[in-house]
Formats: sequence, structure tokens, C-alpha cells
Amino acid sequence: MLIYILRRVIVMIPVTILISVIGFIIIQAPPGDFVSSYIAGLEAQGDIIEPELIDSLRARYGLGEPIYVQYWRWVSNFVEGDLGYSMIYREPVVDIIAQRLPSSFTISLLSLILVFVIGIPIGVLSATKQYSLADYTFTVIGFLGVATPNFLLALVGLWLLFSWTGTVSIGLYSPEMQNAPFGLAKFLDLLSHIWLPALIVGTAGTAELIRTMRANLLDELPKQYVTVARARGVKPTKLLYKYPLRIAINPVISTVGWLLPVLVEGEVLVSLVLGLPTIAPVLLDSLLQQDMFLATSIIMILGILTLVGTLLSDILLAIVDPRIRGAV
Amino acid sequence: MTAAQTGEREATAPPGGDAAADPLLSVRNLQTHFFSREGVVKAVDGVSFDIKPGEILGIAGESGCGKSVTSQSILRILPRNGKIVGGEILFDNGESSVDLAAEEADGRVLRDIRGKEIAMIFQEPMTSFSPVHTIGDQIIETIRIHQDVSKEEAHEQAVEMLRRVGMPNPARNIEEYTFNLSGGMRQRAMVALSLSCRPKLLIADEPTTAVDVTIQAQMLELLRDIQADLGMAIIMITHDLGVIAELTDRVMIMYLGKEVEHGTVEDVFHRPQHPYTRGLLASIPKMEPGRVEIEPIEGVVPSPYAMPTGCKFHTRCPDYIAGVCEKQDPPLTAVGPGHEVSCYLYGGREELE
Repeated sequence: MLIYILRRVIVMIPVTILISVIGFIIIQAPPGDFVSSYIAGLEAQGDIIEPELIDSLRARYGLGEPIYVQYWRWVSNFVEGDLGYSMIYREPVVDIIAQRLPSSFTISLLSLILVFVIGIPIGVLSATKQYSLADYTFTVIGFLGVATPNFLLALVGLWLLFSWTGTVSIGLYSPEMQNAPFGLAKFLDLLSHIWLPALIVGTAGTAELIRTMRANLLDELPKQYVTVARARGVKPTKLLYKYPLRIAINPVISTVGWLLPVLVEGEVLVSLVLGLPTIAPVLLDSLLQQDMFLATSIIMILGILTLVGTLLSDILLAIVDPRIRGAV
Repeated sequence: MTAAQTGEREATAPPGGDAAADPLLSVRNLQTHFFSREGVVKAVDGVSFDIKPGEILGIAGESGCGKSVTSQSILRILPRNGKIVGGEILFDNGESSVDLAAEEADGRVLRDIRGKEIAMIFQEPMTSFSPVHTIGDQIIETIRIHQDVSKEEAHEQAVEMLRRVGMPNPARNIEEYTFNLSGGMRQRAMVALSLSCRPKLLIADEPTTAVDVTIQAQMLELLRDIQADLGMAIIMITHDLGVIAELTDRVMIMYLGKEVEHGTVEDVFHRPQHPYTRGLLASIPKMEPGRVEIEPIEGVVPSPYAMPTGCKFHTRCPDYIAGVCEKQDPPLTAVGPGHEVSCYLYGGREELE
């Protein structure tokens, strides 16, 4: 088992390097760079730009050098924890990410919990009561959930909240709590705001999980070991939880890992609509304005998150499924 | 079938088991139907038989004849769309007779009987165990459902049962998963699982079908040994007449949900009366020199949604009597002691007007 984990970690190293190269190249691929879009912005306002200023800006950010030199400088700084300097925010990238990543994580984690708490029981109900009214109802809701774009849900949610309570829930905290020190009051305030984005971000995932759970369980239920357990006198409820559900849930466990980055990305439009201080809108901004250090760093972090998540999933799966444990 | 006919059968109890004893299980006119969008399938349509303590009964027939559904009906583990629509399944639990057909499928009474009084072994040993639990886990679970014993005691009993079925290293095997065991060991583990509470009746549903011949032979030997050892009754369900001949005392032949003939293995194999039984026996490959061809039964099994009227076999029967066989179901007629046939060739025609 330990060897298995070690082997998996070693394999992650070349993959991480590959992600960094591809990420860097893609960010660099569009014509122009931050300086040109910055200057275009200034010129649009009617400013006249001295060529010397352009050159000095380029030199400051090292933009004139060949791409491999730039990559090497970025990557060696990255390893040391220096993620570079954001040109749009005029702040070190580390600070921006440190401010924003916790909110992203909180929303994603809460979404994940909501997805499981809502998705698994409904999926189980749908499978055990196949073709019942409840099954059909949740199937329709599930398809709607998958098909409805998150930002639309965010708008609808915002409007509903406004028409019921008269408040517009923008951001993660009430204005008066924004700068308060973190404590119980602030935490409760956070909870009262965070459920809406978490629910919206999780909608598609929940709908998908209902379908997956239902299909997996329907695959397991007619299997012989279920009949055998029934023929041994095992109680119906215990039978369901101990045998088919336990096995049907394995594929779900294997997707937990990469669900996390998906949720982070899924927030982009929701965060924009609801005005949340998460990482997603920053990524969008940085891509639009070719803020290369910021964009590449966020992409790197998402990539590493995916890798770590997948590793965690695999370890979890090996713990719950002896067939995998036997094979490693 | 009438009550008088089943009474008659009890009077002429065949050898094997205790002839004087009351039946352990008595199935009367069992009807199990499946309901689907395409229509109703009468998988079992009026089957009756008795089994006495310690007796080995074989139920044989082609796929789709209702033999497995009969066994699933007894333990009430039918698929969701299957329902017992008529008849009784009387089980003698030592104190009184319980009608399993009238009880709630997953209710207390059935759950107490399953695994403890009546156990079942199934076709594939690989899939009889949950792949993510050890075999010991499932054996111990069964023991502790039915007996008020500690974990350690149950563990001991499980090891003992594994030893009894011939597992090479019971203390270690108990911690193993099915995917770690060989085919033969899985068979043994499965038998140990079903026998963990020493049931009075073991239903073996095609236990030799999905395994190769060497394991099949081992399985039969194991069942015979265990039966001699523990003395339970066995219902052996199979399409393999060789297995029936080797293991059972009595046999019931089924065709399309109906009983066509029953009697001792002697009688049915050496003096088959029903044209279907004769056809089945003739279609077994022979070892005689110079003879390679087997004689299949003419025609095909009718669609379950379009069952023939009257005798279900008349569409394929070489001895079909026009104007008689398609009219009504032939009644069971005694052709010898404990040997009955459901065929107009042997009587019952006078009851048709």
C-alpha cells in the first residue's frame, strides 16, 4: 500500500512538469502580452505613450526574452514560492491567491457536502423505487439540474431571494461584517450567505450524482450476492447499506478528487453574478488581460489540485475496495 | 390438481428419507406469475410436491420450465415483478406448519427461516459473495442473524464449517475474499455459507452449471458427504439429468411451469412414461460405439407469452392425440407406486366429456 502511494506520488512529478509547460505555453500563445494590452488600454483613453516607457515595462517584466528563458525564470521562482507579480492588481500573486483561495475552498467544500448529502439519498431512493412517481420526479429535476446553466440559476436564486426577503445577497459577508475580525458572529454571517452559492455551484453535480448513484445501484441490485444475502435472512435495510450500496458508491469515491477543481471552475459565472470574492473571477480577468503570472499560477494550482485529488481518490478507493488493494 | 391426488402421493411415499415422517416441505398447487408490459408469464402454473426430512429431490427440466422460479418462490426471493398468485408452501418448522406463500416476503417469519431452516446455494460461487467483504464476514453475519452467539463463537463455528466442507486452511481462508479463492474453493465456501446454521432443507439451484466438470464432480461428492453428515433434505434443481441420476432419490420433471412426471430416479430413468421425459432421456449423448447422433425433441419451446392450450407439450409431442391433448391440462395419473405422469396416454381422457 505504501509502495503504491509512493509510486503514485513519483508519477505525479512528470505530470506536474507537463502541466506547467502546457499551461505556460497556452497563456503565452495569444499574440501580444500584458504590456501591449495595457498600452492599448491607455491609448484608448487618449494617452500618448513614449516608446521608452514600453521598453522599460517590457524589461521590467522580462517580456522581451525568449519563451524558454521566461519559463525557466517563472518555474524556478514558483518552486521557491514566489509566484510573480500581478500586473493588473499590482500585488504579488501569492497575496491575491491567499485572499481568494479560502473562499473558493469553502464554497467548493460546502458544495461537495451538499452534493453528497442531497445526491446520494435521492439516487438510492430512485434506484430502490425504480419507475415510481418519486423516481420520475427526481429524474425530471435531475435532467433540469444538469441542463440549466449555473449563472442562470444564480440570477434566479438572487431574484427569488430578493422577492422573498428584500435583501440582495451579494458577496459572502454582510457589509457591516466585511472587516470584522473572524469569530462566531462572522461565521454565522458567512453561513447565511454561503448556502446560496454553494447550492447553485453544486446543482449540476447533484443532478449528475443522482443519475450516477441510481445507475450504479441498479447495476448492483440484481446481482447474485444480493439475492444470496436476502436468502440468508439479512434485513432489507441492512442488506441495502452493507452490500449493493457499498459497492455502488465506489465509482463515486473515485470522482471526488477531480470534482474539487471542477467545482472551483464551476464557480466562475456564479461568482461573477453573485459578486463573490473567489479565485474564479480573478482567473477570468487575468486571462482577458493577459496577466501571465497570475493566470499561469492559478492554472498551475488547479492542475495540482486535480492531481492531489485524484491521488486521494485512489487511496480512498484502495481503502474501501479490497479488489483494488489486492491489485496494487 | 386436487387435494385427493396429493393425498394419494403421500400414501405411496418412495424410498429415500424417512418414509413414515411428515413432509418437511409441502408445495401445493403453486402458481407463480411474472407481470410485465408484454403480458403475464405463468412461470410456475400449478406445481405440487413434498419433500421429507433427509430426502434428496431432484427437479429437472429445460431452461424456462420454472424450476428456478419454484425454488425462489419457496424462499420468497422472487424478482420484483414475480408474484405467487396461488397455492400453498407449507413448511414444518418443528412446532407447526407455516404457509410461506401467505407470509410477507421480507417479513420476520421469512427472514427467520431463510438461512436457518431453509438455505440455498446458487449457480455462480464467484458472485454469491459480496466482492468487498471477506467470506468469513458473510458466514459470521449469517450465524449471528440466527443464533444468539458472540462474535468469537460465531467465528469458531464458521471456521469449523469451512473445515467440514474441506477448505484447506479454514483459519486463514475465513479472512479471504472470493477473488483470492480458486473455483473449487469458492464452491466449498458457498456451501459452508449456506450450511452455516445447519438448515433442515438445502435448495441447490443449478450449483453445477457454471463450473467445469472436475469441480462439478467435487461438488456432488461434497453435497453427498455433507448430506450424510448433517442429514438435511436437499432439493436439487438442474437441467443436467446426470446430476439427478447421481445424487437424488426422487425426481420431478417440469415443462413450461407444469409437472409432467415424477417418481423415483429408478422409475423415471428406466421406465419413463411421459413423451417429454422420454424425449429428454433420448437427447442425452450416448457412449455406445458407432452411434454419434443424439435425438433432439422436435420443435421449439413455445413463447412464454403464447402458451399452448391443454397439455403444454402437445405442440412438440410425437404421441399427440388430436382432439384430446389441446383441450385441457391432463391430470396426474399413477402408473406405479409413487410414479405419476401427467399425460392422456395413461388416463384422464374419460374426464373430458
